[in-house]
Amino acid sequence: MAGHSDIPQRHADLTDEAAGWLAALDAGSANVVAFEVWRAADIRHAVAFAEVAGTWRDLDALRGAQGERRAALETPSPPKAVIRPNRRQILRATGSIVTVAAVGGGIAYRAAARDMAETRVGQRMTVAVTPGIALDLNTDSRVYWRTGAPVRLWLDRGEIALLLAVDHRLQLLTPGGQFQLDPGAYNARLRGAGCELAVLAGGISAGSTTRLGSGDVALVTAGQVRIQPREDLGGVTAWQHDTLVLNGESLDYAVAEMNRYLPNTIVIGDPALSRLRVGGSFATTRPAEFLRALRSSFGIRATAGPSGEIVLTRA
Amino acid sequence: MFECHDPLTLSPSCKNTGLGDPAGRLEHVLGWLRDIDRWFLAEVLPHAAAYRAKAAYLCGRDNAEDLVQDAYARVLKTPDYRAIVTPRGFVLTIVHNLALERLRRANVVRIDAFASLDMLGVADPAPDAFAIASGRSELQRLLDLIDALPAQCSRVLHMRKVQGMPPGDIADALCLSLSTVEKHIAKGLALITKARRDSEVQWEEAWPAIPTSRSVMPT
Repeated sequence: MAGHSDIPQRHADLTDEAAGWLAALDAGSANVVAFEVWRAADIRHAVAFAEVAGTWRDLDALRGAQGERRAALETPSPPKAVIRPNRRQILRATGSIVTVAAVGGGIAYRAAARDMAETRVGQRMTVAVTPGIALDLNTDSRVYWRTGAPVRLWLDRGEIALLLAVDHRLQLLTPGGQFQLDPGAYNARLRGAGCELAVLAGGISAGSTTRLGSGDVALVTAGQVRIQPREDLGGVTAWQHDTLVLNGESLDYAVAEMNRYLPNTIVIGDPALSRLRVGGSFATTRPAEFLRALRSSFGIRATAGPSGEIVLTRA
Repeated sequence: MFECHDPLTLSPSCKNTGLGDPAGRLEHVLGWLRDIDRWFLAEVLPHAAAYRAKAAYLCGRDNAEDLVQDAYARVLKTPDYRAIVTPRGFVLTIVHNLALERLRRANVVRIDAFASLDMLGVADPAPDAFAIASGRSELQRLLDLIDALPAQCSRVLHMRKVQGMPPGDIADALCLSLSTVEKHIAKGLALITKARRDSEVQWEEAWPAIPTSRSVMPT
């Protein structure tokens, strides 16, 4: 009979798990791929999630009942600007544009024609494009999008991560080509005239013949797709945790990657240093750690240049 | 009502910022529901009390929830679920059939247990009996459930769902980390979901059930 007494406990546990997932999705902290795996693993998980989502939906009626939501939508509120000094900020544009759901640094607005989100150097931002489509912008990036069927999103500059919930698709337009994205998780980064696409989960159709699946990384230039072998997909998405992962790349590559996040860039002052191989994980928000590692591992000295740059030379 | 700060006034020790449009984020969460989940929410779950009542009647309260969960799983595995004309009746039929299967698997079953199933057939035992009859509105009941939560959990959930504040703004206003706000929301949501389920069980208890001796445990 012990098994029977465990049954209600098991349901309660699943409810706790499901509520945890929903709260994480609400806060934008969920690993969406892990969530989909959890939900697909057992049909009881899907039931539990649907049940807590039902409670969540019903609780929304409390706002409507009190008239607060309507008032908030109908009454222009004063522009709300919340600034995180030196790190992140949210700006709310005034006039005919309104904010879209966004968190982190940068600017996001909804205009009559297209919506836009943009980050400056060193900023990162999360945007809820539409229900079921979430977007992370890496440093110095800009996207435009237009809702509809399908949602169309232009990657104009930089790098983004995209999360598409089940039943949500998106057309991604880049200078390198156009792509149809199925529900899943993706990373897209502009590299020169091309676009590097990584499929963490889901699938991408590029043209009528090319199909990328989960785990694929491809560089697309002028519509030509070149699959690139890459074993460490974790390195592709590390920027979402403010981390740069290096696996034996040359120092000039490592410096170029770190410079993406720095207003005051690092310059290699001694060409002989360029081909040093560097490995490790470094916080993109703390370049001093990167410089200290170079000094302790290779005896490289970092000094301030005349224009504010950081110059690397042999000690 | 709550001892919280003005969400637009950041104290120096607060380090979280809010989001632009809370309505967009509220919609965002429900965006993770698949079509079949939406159908399940709209057509199947509203009648959960009826399924549990029937399951408890046939197999005893200890087994009712498990039986209903099995029925849900069968429903969600139905390929052409949209073709189900009366989802409520469909699930009740599954509950009935699953109960019958369990009775057949049981080592010791009284003949009258089968008889009761035959008499019941697949009819809905009380099609309209499970509506909220307390005279209090569902919204008031939900507010009461929020108020009954642990203090900080109640405060956070009220700010999120009644006032519509984004998690980041709540974290700022209460000087909590975003992670802590998330935990309070998860806890409150789980407790309210369970409380609603329990209130359905209490309603079921008001209905006659076959004597305990007829309840059959699977072996």
